[in-house]
Amino acid sequence: MWKSYDDLDVLKGVSFELAQRDVKVIFGPSGSGKSTLLRCINMLEPPDKGEVYLSGQNLMESKANINALRSRIGMVFQHFNLFSHLKAIDNVSIGLRRVKKLPKEEARERALEALHRVKLAEWADHYPAQLSGGQQQRVGIARALVMEPDVILFDEPTSALDPELIGEVLQVMLDLAKTGTTMVVVTHELGFAKAVSSEMLYLDEGVIVERGTPEHFFTSPKSERVRRFLNQINILYGTHEKLFEHSKKENNE
Amino acid sequence: MMFQVLPGPIEEFLVVLEYWDHIFSGFLLTLWLYGWAILIGFFLGLMLAILRHYKLPYPLGIFSDISAGFIEIVRGTPLIAQLLLLYFLPYSLNLPIEKWSFSTNFMIFDKEITLILLNRRTLTGIIVLGLNSSAYQAEYFRGAIMSVGSGQLMAAQSLGMSRFSGVRHIILPQALRRVIPAWSNEAAYLPKYTVIVYLIGVEELFAEAHWIVAKTFISLTTYIVIAVIFLIMITLISKLLDIVHKRTAIPGL
Repeated sequence: MWKSYDDLDVLKGVSFELAQRDVKVIFGPSGSGKSTLLRCINMLEPPDKGEVYLSGQNLMESKANINALRSRIGMVFQHFNLFSHLKAIDNVSIGLRRVKKLPKEEARERALEALHRVKLAEWADHYPAQLSGGQQQRVGIARALVMEPDVILFDEPTSALDPELIGEVLQVMLDLAKTGTTMVVVTHELGFAKAVSSEMLYLDEGVIVERGTPEHFFTSPKSERVRRFLNQINILYGTHEKLFEHSKKENNE
Repeated sequence: MMFQVLPGPIEEFLVVLEYWDHIFSGFLLTLWLYGWAILIGFFLGLMLAILRHYKLPYPLGIFSDISAGFIEIVRGTPLIAQLLLLYFLPYSLNLPIEKWSFSTNFMIFDKEITLILLNRRTLTGIIVLGLNSSAYQAEYFRGAIMSVGSGQLMAAQSLGMSRFSGVRHIILPQALRRVIPAWSNEAAYLPKYTVIVYLIGVEELFAEAHWIVAKTFISLTTYIVIAVIFLIMITLISKLLDIVHKRTAIPGL
């Protein structure tokens, strides 16, 4: 797909495919078009040119029912974007009520289940402003999850969080990945990428500069740009090695 | 004659109060005008704000321009000109003008009070005040809608909600809460604007005051009585809105 704003070309022909249970991590410097790419996938910012297929259905077709298709693509936002006038439980259930038209009781039950999956069931009756950033983001994940989407898009889900709150969100995302959720994650959490991603894409200036497995990136990246970027990220964020090891241990057990 | 032993101002006050039935019916008519004007202004203003802020797809986008134009014209011309224009328009167009009116009669303390609820003059007054208020209210609503932020609508759409449903269920509940402090400005202005309809012969509070002055030659005291009535009325409105604001506040915000 291609996308530009006025004179600024943000995406210059980006193409990739996603299989079921894939976890794709997209990373790259600021302004490289990562967020735009995600928003183009679910047509929140329609691409100028290109095609987006969800199980064979082209979202770019003019007769496509975009609302119905969007309900099959979950999205988690950098700044959470929780509905601030609704309690956590209603944030999660509103999609079921207004989009899937479920009766109140059933929507509530399923929303509680989703909150349980992100370990927030006991916070169901709190408003977003009464929750910490990490809790808010987990509600955001539950809100996407409850719709049982084919794929969930994560737009830098941890980059607006205080450092001590990042772990709880990553843990939830790790659990999702392990239970076979198909995900596209824009993130600089390299430990997370290492632990669960099936492929990583390095995006810079609107093109995919390099793609490969986490092993490929962490041992022998081809491009000098990628190597320099990874180094800087490593210094800034670390790689959450502990989380990675913990997750591996759990897997072995 | 009977108050000659009292000091001047108090004597004048008592004379004015003898016309309490006129003051009372004027007050009721002022409330009546105010109620309709604020109601028309609210619903029309909300519609104008939404149309102006959310551009509809071609060719309906023209409605955005129409609402923007309407708001600017109404806010940019004097209220008195709008009133006289609408009042004299039927004469200029040589339309047949029929006499009609709906009124109500009731007795309080052996005084008969006649209220003309609707005739051509009152209707013109209500329409002009309502249209005028809608333009101002629209801008308050638009400001509140903008302050809610585009992320909320994006999140709603990512769940599969249509733009309309997102505005209805996510944006408006938040915008209407946020608008109350600013909107209370309009609620406090409008009662005072209603006095202008006395120019086309609607017998609201100010017109009744004029009548009392003409009858008794007591001007200052009469106008002070009227001013105090306005003051009490507007103070009550502000207090009421304060309570609504507190009762609808989102916990934690």
